[in-house]
Amino acid sequence: MKSFDYLKPDSMDEALKVLKTHEHCFALAGGTDLLVAMKSDTVKTKCLVDLKAIPCIDVIEYDDGFNIGSMATVREIEMSPLIREKLPALSEAAATLGSIQIRNRATIGGNLCHGSPAADMATILMAMDGEVRIASADGERRVKLEQFFTGPGSTAVEPGEILAGIHIPKEMQDYKGVYLKHGPRWAMDIGIVNIGILLDADFVSGLCHRVMIAMGAVGPTPLRAFKAEAMLNGNNLTPELIAQASGVASKEARPITDFRASAEYRKAMVASLVSKGLRQILDTGSDC
Amino acid sequence: MAKQRIHITINEEDHDLLVNPNITLLDFIRYELGLTGTKEGCDEGDCGACTVIMDGKVVTSCLVLAVEADGSRITTIEGVQTGKDLHPIQQAFVDSGAVQCGFCTPGMVLTTKALLDENPDPSEADIKHYLEGNLCRCTGYTKIVEAVHRVALALK
Repeated sequence: MKSFDYLKPDSMDEALKVLKTHEHCFALAGGTDLLVAMKSDTVKTKCLVDLKAIPCIDVIEYDDGFNIGSMATVREIEMSPLIREKLPALSEAAATLGSIQIRNRATIGGNLCHGSPAADMATILMAMDGEVRIASADGERRVKLEQFFTGPGSTAVEPGEILAGIHIPKEMQDYKGVYLKHGPRWAMDIGIVNIGILLDADFVSGLCHRVMIAMGAVGPTPLRAFKAEAMLNGNNLTPELIAQASGVASKEARPITDFRASAEYRKAMVASLVSKGLRQILDTGSDC
Repeated sequence: MAKQRIHITINEEDHDLLVNPNITLLDFIRYELGLTGTKEGCDEGDCGACTVIMDGKVVTSCLVLAVEADGSRITTIEGVQTGKDLHPIQQAFVDSGAVQCGFCTPGMVLTTKALLDENPDPSEADIKHYLEGNLCRCTGYTKIVEAVHRVALALK
């Protein structure tokens, strides 16, 4: 690794000031993506600002919804009793990321700011209608996750800003969710296609009140399948409608062909996984 | 690049040293302290050979800066055994034939230790999930999973 200065401010204000006044400065969260990029020299930096000493930036709490600090580790989200009870799909998605060694260091904020279209946290949080809080010297602004990702590796976080946390609406605890990660191996790999679904339905009649479907690794950013959602909202989730909506979701995906899979295969898997995910939620939902 | 003073406890021994910010915890352990039981495999967090226990949690030391470890307690493979006797986990790996070339073994042993500290009675699925970040190219994992089962039973 090339040489750099290391600073560890003990407040958000101080961290924002340092990022603003130092050139070529990067915020350091868990480091599991950033240090790899620095070793290969794809990220060049003169200064790292470690966010780990900022107070309360790693909270996982509930008040007007779920507030997760950007420096909460993926392992903390996986194991949090609050998340396991109220947002189990988020805990399950966290458990699929990397390995335990990586999850102990990697943070939810880092996973989002890395801007990978295949990021596990991004897809499930988008399905949960999540919103991020971005701090700057001028105050805080909120951005919906659908607007947060601006391209592969790029996000709405501007130079001099810090992702402070993620907010998930409180009604998500009443939804049933699922996270499906499709790939040749479960551990230590990113998915070929990731699907996150949150569903509010009458599980007796099968009436869908509201559904959110997010798709990862099938576009330049994680995507919501808005057209498929619109077909399902307010209608009975019959096998025919599920099959139809899954096909529409597949058309909404904009995948590329790379060494992991072809674009055609990814599209086929979107249809398959959206359908599987909806059926899985309906099966478990009708049990209770 | 200004050197930074760090205070770090490794295998119950305190160290107070100046380090360059661009030195990883792995290189610090191997080259500053000469503890070469911690191995460098991929150097990008994929293989788990450089696993150490940092404040009770397993981490890949190639993806931690030495300056980030300031104030923490680290256990490396050298800190696992007491005196001349192997730790029961190490003994179980030997008894089960879970060691072949041995390069992944320090990381496997430390991850097993963290697993059993958290969950003394793991199922086979628990073991495989917890050890998924430790790659072994020799054994095919069967003997390693067997070793973890064996030591979990022995420690009960």
